[in-house]
Amino acid sequence: MTIFVGGFVFQFDGFQKKAAETMKHAHGTTTLAFIFKEGVIVAADSRASMGGYISSQSVKKIIEINPYMLGTMAGGAADCQFWHRNLGIKCRLHELANKRRISVTGASKLLANILYSYRGMGLSIGTMIAGWDETGPGLYYVDSEGGRLKGKRFSVGSGSPYAYGVLDDGYRFDMSVEEAAELARRAIYHATFRDGASGGVASVYYVGPDGWKKLSGDDVGELHYKYYPAVVEQEMAEVTIA
Amino acid sequence: MSIFEYNGSAIVAMVGKNCFAIASDRRLGVQLQTVATDFQRIYKIHDKLYIGLAGLATDAQTLHQRLVFRHNLYQLREERNMKPETFASLVSAVLYEKRFGPYFCQPVIAGLGEKDEPFICTMDSIGANENANVIGIELAKDFVVGGTASESLYGACESMYKPNMEPDELFETISQALLASVDRDCLSGWGGHVIVVTPTEVTERKLKGRMD
Amino acid sequence: MECVFGLVGDGFALVVADTSAVHSILVHKSNEDKIMILDSHKLLGASGESGDRVQFTEYIQKNVHLYKFRNGISLSTAAAANFTRGELATALRKAQRQVFVANPYSVNLLLAGYDKDIGPSLYYIDYIATLHKIDKGAFGYGSYFSLSMMDRHYHSGMSVEEAINLVDKIIMEIRSRLVVAPPNFVIKIVDKDGAREYAWRESIKDVDASPAAMA
Repeated sequence: MTIFVGGFVFQFDGFQKKAAETMKHAHGTTTLAFIFKEGVIVAADSRASMGGYISSQSVKKIIEINPYMLGTMAGGAADCQFWHRNLGIKCRLHELANKRRISVTGASKLLANILYSYRGMGLSIGTMIAGWDETGPGLYYVDSEGGRLKGKRFSVGSGSPYAYGVLDDGYRFDMSVEEAAELARRAIYHATFRDGASGGVASVYYVGPDGWKKLSGDDVGELHYKYYPAVVEQEMAEVTIA
Repeated sequence: MSIFEYNGSAIVAMVGKNCFAIASDRRLGVQLQTVATDFQRIYKIHDKLYIGLAGLATDAQTLHQRLVFRHNLYQLREERNMKPETFASLVSAVLYEKRFGPYFCQPVIAGLGEKDEPFICTMDSIGANENANVIGIELAKDFVVGGTASESLYGACESMYKPNMEPDELFETISQALLASVDRDCLSGWGGHVIVVTPTEVTERKLKGRMD
Repeated sequence: MECVFGLVGDGFALVVADTSAVHSILVHKSNEDKIMILDSHKLLGASGESGDRVQFTEYIQKNVHLYKFRNGISLSTAAAANFTRGELATALRKAQRQVFVANPYSVNLLLAGYDKDIGPSLYYIDYIATLHKIDKGAFGYGSYFSLSMMDRHYHSGMSVEEAINLVDKIIMEIRSRLVVAPPNFVIKIVDKDGAREYAWRESIKDVDASPAAMA
């Protein structure tokens, strides 16, 4: 493993490599966000896993950066949490210096620039920055490879292809907040069903002109039986042996 | 990722008072992708003998077919069913045949013996019995587990198991142990399947579980 | 990349497959039919290495025919599925004994059929010979999109029209979201009237002529 920092070449030895891997704690995830008529919807599952083991079913993968901006978490938990907190600080400082809130464009650029400066050092982040600013709703995808994309609809994580399948098909720009929230919930649910690394609680946030609001947090264990009420199959067979 | 974890599985068997229970999850997956949630991992050998095959699904199917074949031959020759102990030896022998290219399965065997005494045991993928003494197979007294959720299952069983449970309590215990365990495993779950066998009755139930 | 999926509806089962024949970065052909009509009432959708795919599906087809010639009756769908699994499982273990020979058959299969007494059915058989009866299933990169879309929109007793509608939605999703999306698909159906091609969904026409002939 070779790492380039400021012109120097770092060579990781076996121990350092192992250490970097242990720290990673990469978790499977499904997160999504989309812009629609009324604002932005952000949703995520809540599972953290290490290999096949589920280390938590109650992770907060939607991070509240400030009252008008949310970030989502996919990849390394510590990396995401740290750099979102860091972004929160930078956004607040911007607010104090300029007497106005930072734009979503600006905030996501701040994060992207930081991540770009750490490129190749093993950070693992796939995030969406969603919020409402002077220009209206904003949504950006930012990752630790240094990428930053502006868009109307994103899904990130191991369950994202499943979520996209439901999301792309059900998406309309002129949805009501309720319809949009249900679409997001449904997309997360279907991803948790098929993806072993996603599960727990499907949280849905809405960001409108007055800032973000948590709309729901449904246990997908219960959601499944709400969407598909258990058919009472006559499966309690009793066989008597002579 | 280990080939034993390719499809994901959770199997547990418990001994009660003159009865036993065997339970498994219902997921068939390909690594993290769930393919089906109505998969069978517990196979019936005869009315009082069941085998659960954790591990690679294709090998579980092949192994089951071969075991049924061998049991049928035995029935024809002996005109009786196999004792669980005998069957465990057969499984062990069939597995060791493939010592250098094993079936990637961990069997969990549960049955009622000649005098309706419960028997459970497990072995590794090449037929080494757990708790085996030099002479042959020593049965486990309490519970045996297998599959990707086996570590969680050990914990759950260790704390929930009591000796000499009646069939109803045994069902409750094994079900709770199974459901609690698969909730900590990405690769197993999506419902459960429990079979409780007493000298006079076989009760089979499907469990509702978390579908994530 | 390869996409094969299928589902069971009301009185029919259908299989959809992409039609690209790909080798490394080259698309050799975009109208390769990967769904074999096994016999009058069976479809075998296959994905995998092209050599293995053709060899294995033809081998199964010929043996299913041989059984009919010998016995005068066709294999049921379940029997054909179990036969296919058996051949695949045997081949898998044979290959393992000779360390230097690769897996003889790397093919994933969806077997759809219609039996008079049972009705339509669909079987999932992967390249390591895992067999399972399913209502809906998929292989390849397309499975990530198609499985969740089928979970969302599938219900038991779908009409042909509803099913085709869903298939079209899935094809659209694959085309728009998958980097290595194949351009063309073929849809085949099996019901009481037999197994047949239902439709093609082409976004590129495979021109079967020399540049000179086109000019």
